[in-house]
Amino acid sequence: MIIAIILVILIIIGIFFYNSLIGKKNQVTNAFSAIDVMLKKRFDLIPNLVEVVKQYTNYESETLSKIVELRTRASAGNISDAEKAQIDSQLSTSVKGLMVNVENYPDLKANTNFINLQSTWAESEEQIAAARRSYNAAVTDYNNSIMMFPGSLFAGMLNFHPVPVLETAVEERKNISAKDLFNN
Amino acid sequence: MQFSSLAGNVALQNILATMEVERKKIASTQKKGYYFIGGGILLGIIGSVLGFPMPSIIAGLAPVIYGGIVLFKINDELQAYKHTYKRDVISEALRFLDSSLTIAPQNGIVAHEFIHSQLFTTEPDRYKTEDLVSGRAEKTAFYFAEVHAEYKTVTQTKNGRKTEWHDIFKGIIFVADFNKNFNGSTIVRPKDFGSAIGAWFSTNLFSFSDKDVIKLENVDFDKTFITYGTDQVESRYLLTPAMMERILRLNHNSKYSISLSFIQSRIYIGFPLDRNYFEAPIFKSLLNPDLLNEDISTIKFMYDIVKELDLNTRIWSKN
Repeated sequence: MIIAIILVILIIIGIFFYNSLIGKKNQVTNAFSAIDVMLKKRFDLIPNLVEVVKQYTNYESETLSKIVELRTRASAGNISDAEKAQIDSQLSTSVKGLMVNVENYPDLKANTNFINLQSTWAESEEQIAAARRSYNAAVTDYNNSIMMFPGSLFAGMLNFHPVPVLETAVEERKNISAKDLFNN
Repeated sequence: MQFSSLAGNVALQNILATMEVERKKIASTQKKGYYFIGGGILLGIIGSVLGFPMPSIIAGLAPVIYGGIVLFKINDELQAYKHTYKRDVISEALRFLDSSLTIAPQNGIVAHEFIHSQLFTTEPDRYKTEDLVSGRAEKTAFYFAEVHAEYKTVTQTKNGRKTEWHDIFKGIIFVADFNKNFNGSTIVRPKDFGSAIGAWFSTNLFSFSDKDVIKLENVDFDKTFITYGTDQVESRYLLTPAMMERILRLNHNSKYSISLSFIQSRIYIGFPLDRNYFEAPIFKSLLNPDLLNEDISTIKFMYDIVKELDLNTRIWSKN
């Protein structure tokens, strides 16, 4: 009798562990799609940003065309997630450079549209950062549970493998130097 | 800011000097009342010990009643004195700190808002609030008030039902307009043994709540607090690495562990305290230069939260 009860309890705990493992795996996929949504939101800001900046500056055309090109590549649809992340980090650097250069154009700096775009951009930066952190947290959680006992038992049976966390792009990690940006 | 800078405030000094006369009167009357009550009780006890319980209790009753009347009669004056202190002294000190700061002694943070803040899981059965201070530090509006929330337990004993009151929270609740837009709710509570087990259970086995445990990458933060949120990404959007550091610093500077919540565009912070603030002293002089130090440092602490948490940085779409 006692053995039967213990067995039932063990089976129930097993079911919970199994379900939570699947939940965590889905969480990883889910967290990645959250990044995707945020990226798309940010890519959508580009055309407006370019339009506004164009009206005021004649000198940033090179930066602008680079940004436009990156945005076109990102929207192509047939690119991998890794490429998308790569494009995003390049885009981010270019736009940051642009924002620094705006200091040279007082009219643009005072434009309401531009100010709005600037704050929306800053917001999207932090949202993407938050989404990436969520993704990494989900991945760490998932990796921990498939590598630790008793999750490791299920992971072996189900052929679950650890997922790598997102590295921060090298370009992003560098402190932005205004001098470098002006020299570009 | 210390009292030294307020000491030069002539208006405040005049108010204090006038109130000091009133305070001395109240203090001596109260002392008189207590002496009579004490004397009466002592008379009863001594008489009983010496073997005349009945006559001595009757003789002792008279001074006790007289003492009670004395205390009762001075009570109105005492309340008026306390009120004047808040209205004139505390409000002057507040204005000195920032002209936007005002105090409404009778108002507070209503029970509904306290529950809505989700800072604590238990709903109060008895709720008291007073001393609402509101103001604005640059772009950020904020307010805070003293709150005492309790719940009761009723147990059946041999002598009938016994009701006991327990604190949910006693201290100051601080509320400020948050500098970012968000839709869901994020709650940051101090970590204790029970909540740590609950969090492990909900991440690894089964969750009963509509909120997830948010595991944050700041190790110190994760050790000090447990974070719950309706949206993993949104909670991290609010709790950026810099914000977590700032919250840790704020927690470090407060005597007891703080709780925070981010709900409907606002940040709520609960600071547990063990003393009643902004209360007029009765047996200590109002002319003591250290009189306002503690109260002012509390107000200053609250006022500085806006700066400390960087709530005036409005680079996002919310202005």
